[in-house]
Amino acid sequence: MKPVVFAARSLRREFRHGELATLAAALVLAVAALGAVGTLAARVERAIVASAAELLGGDLGVSARRSALPEDFVDEARRNGLATNRIVEFSSVVFSGDASQFTEIRAVDPAFPLRGALSVRGADGSARAAAAPAPGEVYADRAVLVGLGRSVGERLQIGGRDLAIAGEIVNAPGGSVFQFAPTVLMSLADADAAGLLGPGSRASYRLLVAGDAPAVDRYAAWAREHLPPAARLTSVEDAQQNLRSAFERGESFLRLAALLAALLAGIAVALAAQRFSRRKTEEVALLRCLGASRGEIVLALTLELALLAVPACLIGAALGLGLQEAAFAFARELLPGAVPALPWGPSLSAFLIGLAVLFGFALPPLLRLRDVEPMRVFRRDVDTRIRRFDALYLLPFAVGALLILIESGSGRLAGVLGGGLLGVALATLAVSLLLLKLLRAGGRRLPGALRFGLANLVRRRALTLIQVGALALSLTALDLLAVIGPSLLERWRADLPTDTPNYFVLNVQPDQRRDFEARLDGLGARNLSLLPLAAGKLVAINGQPPRAADYADERAGNWIEGEVRVSWSAEVPPSNRIVQGTWHGDPATPQLSVDQSWFEMFKLALGDTMTLRIGDQEVTATVSSVREVDWSSFRVNFFMMLDPAHGDALPHSFIASFHLPPDSAGLAELSRALPNVSLVDINAILDRVRDIIDRVSSAVTWVLGFSLIAGLLVLLAALAATADERRFEIALLRTLGANNGQLNAAVLGEFAALGLLAGVVAAGGAAPPASRWRARCSACPTTGRRSARSARSRSPRPCWSCWRAWPARGASRGRRR
Amino acid sequence: MTFDSDTVLSAQKLSKAVDGPDGRLTILEEVSLSVARGASLAIVGASGSGKTTLLGLLAGLDRPTGGAVTLDGERLDTLDEEARARLRRRLVGFVFQSFHLLPALSAEENVMLPLELEGRDDARERAQQALGDVGLGKRLHHYPHQLSGGEQQRVALARAFVHGPALLFADEPTGNLDQRTGAAITDLLFAMNGEHATTLVLVTHDPKLAARCARTVHMRDGRLIEDAA
Repeated sequence: MKPVVFAARSLRREFRHGELATLAAALVLAVAALGAVGTLAARVERAIVASAAELLGGDLGVSARRSALPEDFVDEARRNGLATNRIVEFSSVVFSGDASQFTEIRAVDPAFPLRGALSVRGADGSARAAAAPAPGEVYADRAVLVGLGRSVGERLQIGGRDLAIAGEIVNAPGGSVFQFAPTVLMSLADADAAGLLGPGSRASYRLLVAGDAPAVDRYAAWAREHLPPAARLTSVEDAQQNLRSAFERGESFLRLAALLAALLAGIAVALAAQRFSRRKTEEVALLRCLGASRGEIVLALTLELALLAVPACLIGAALGLGLQEAAFAFARELLPGAVPALPWGPSLSAFLIGLAVLFGFALPPLLRLRDVEPMRVFRRDVDTRIRRFDALYLLPFAVGALLILIESGSGRLAGVLGGGLLGVALATLAVSLLLLKLLRAGGRRLPGALRFGLANLVRRRALTLIQVGALALSLTALDLLAVIGPSLLERWRADLPTDTPNYFVLNVQPDQRRDFEARLDGLGARNLSLLPLAAGKLVAINGQPPRAADYADERAGNWIEGEVRVSWSAEVPPSNRIVQGTWHGDPATPQLSVDQSWFEMFKLALGDTMTLRIGDQEVTATVSSVREVDWSSFRVNFFMMLDPAHGDALPHSFIASFHLPPDSAGLAELSRALPNVSLVDINAILDRVRDIIDRVSSAVTWVLGFSLIAGLLVLLAALAATADERRFEIALLRTLGANNGQLNAAVLGEFAALGLLAGVVAAGGAAPPASRWRARCSACPTTGRRSARSARSRSPRPCWSCWRAWPARGASRGRRR
Repeated sequence: MTFDSDTVLSAQKLSKAVDGPDGRLTILEEVSLSVARGASLAIVGASGSGKTTLLGLLAGLDRPTGGAVTLDGERLDTLDEEARARLRRRLVGFVFQSFHLLPALSAEENVMLPLELEGRDDARERAQQALGDVGLGKRLHHYPHQLSGGEQQRVALARAFVHGPALLFADEPTGNLDQRTGAAITDLLFAMNGEHATTLVLVTHDPKLAARCARTVHMRDGRLIEDAA
């Protein structure tokens, strides 16, 4: 026998059979869902990485505090064919006439910027692209010009050097949204010549590199090895955090929905393959009878499925690409930078996953056909009861688990999801067996037709268990999506209410506080959060100078080396929640409340002391409480909060966040009246995040559609599993004189029992993860979220900790790390 | 056991027992018979007498629980299922009561099947020839559901003889056909059997069909009770 020819002939005729159509549809669906979501996610990620490089000003940054990086770092970059750009940042007061202004100076070499574009506004008020400032020239933020009362074309002095203001900065890559003073961009040569970078300067040195991705990776590996103490690498992964996290959050849900659609498709495939193999039993018996070997038969059947599956998976992949193209066009305007190329990897992996799903779920019933007795050609009651292949039924579970592992990207999360679904399957088995037993015992008292219908369930026990299991699993999956999806989006939107603070104000001096509050009040600002801010250095923990080497978390070193900021308040600030200890009242000695992530990072315990040097004062405070902080609340938050009695004595300014309608006319007046104050407008960020939420909501609806169709396929496949037999029975009952009512009662009784059984188990199965997710949400401070990871970036962004409670939350993260 | 070159099939004390809900059930008990090359044998008996079981054992479709079967010099009871399948492929043809045509294949493809299993390159030509021989030369590309019962059985006959088997096993070959069609199929079966000089073993209820065979054996309760030449 030529198995390929035989398989092609069989497929040609059998395609019209329901089970093969179900099988093909399930595969198309699974591959389309996985391909679309995977490709879209990869493409959005590429776009974000590209824009992050623009934001960073290069493909990789190496930063060091206090001292310049060894020359090796530049040499090695050049050896790798990378372009380099040196930047030195330091704080300094600039002068012009009698006016002065505290600024953050960024001294750059002529290569600036390696990525992205620098644009400045000239004296005529029009913006233009610009190169790095030439020696003798600077570009300055508007706040600097306002503070000095100067305009473009006039001059200012830095470190005794007289420099021309060549432009007002419109956009400069590599800057931070939140810095504590406005920026002046100057030439590195000038900064050097002015002696601003000499010993004792508190400058930060940064080397940016850009080039081919492999060369950047090689360089990153080298740099990691040779990194001096207190230096660190900044990759594009670290940039664009708020945009990334907004997309990640949607992506996680989309991945979960696609994964569940694929699993449901797997169940539909399993059911269809079961029916296919039952129908093929007689045929296999005949082929055995005519002398076909087991190998030939299995090969022919496998090839038949492969001939069906490969085009189905290709169609699915093409459909997935088409869908992602539409989705990407939808999301495109949210993403900065050029359109990234189409990644082919996710489509290919979806194609392979489709094949794995097919063979994982379809092979067990097919391989059992090897053991069909040729005697079946004479007697249908000859049964195959060889247990040898029963272990094969673990294959779908293995493939399912692998799929969950691949898509969730984490063993632990895969364990939770896989374990949950397995739990549902086992619960279904137990409950179904119990109910079938009850039916067998009590079914006799039921009316005739209903009894007949229910007796069918008992008689086809194995099939009933498979049907109920498949339905229960698909209902569980749909339940989870139905419960979590809308609730996720609702909560996500609630993260960003219309009065979310959209402005931050830095550097409000204590004597300006009353005036500032009054002016904001006059403007009708809402949600004002005004907190003192003192910047200093962490000099001791429990009396000992902290050493970066003592802490596993590399961020600890940055805080030890760098500047720390502390605030104080009589009340626990909104979006903070005490999780350990008690909030300081009016203590005799300084008390400190620490953010949970810091508490863990510095391995603190309640009662430990931390010593901070603020200006020329030192304060040693006892850690008396630990706070869970919602870093995504778009409010001002701090890692450390002192009690007010001891905080007020420290030199400080104020930092505020508030909401005002965008482009409020009064803000310009505020800037003029309080020129030293830095106003940061985050409306654009908020708008973009809101837009992403809206668009992801639409995408979620679409992907939910995939899952629903997959669920429907499971239902069809489950019903089709017994369709032939049921048709025969109905014909028989009809022949014996049964009327429509009786036939309907029999069929409805059977289906209702199946549905009820599956529904009850599914409701039970979906409840725990859903309630766990809700519980996590309600446990979050204020609006309900907190994230240790978000705390790292120190920039406001949407919270995803609740989402993290759900297993797939880690999916995209796991993939990237 | 004796086996001479004229004997193509023999059974010695062939037994078959299965485990049932009420204990061990003997279906066939120490049946012995031999069939000469080119002969025709009818196995008759009431339902449940064990005749189909005997046919299955003689054709190597099943293994006996006792005794021996020799087909063309090969001891079937000592071969595993794969080896018996190879033997069947080479030596045996089947005709069934319910035709057993593969619904996914056309008449031509159904007849090609035994030749393709043997790996023959001329399968299509020979199948067309065989279908022509049974009067279905113009129905080559019809599928089983497009053929009448009699036509389906004729396709089955073409399939059974196409690879020139030494033995043909037939199980109630006219059982699903009306009298007239049955008679036509019977004529065709015996004509082809004569033409191919095939040894024929058939199981039937039909005394008329049995009478066409050179020899008839009767079965009752799993035993051979009468052997009438």
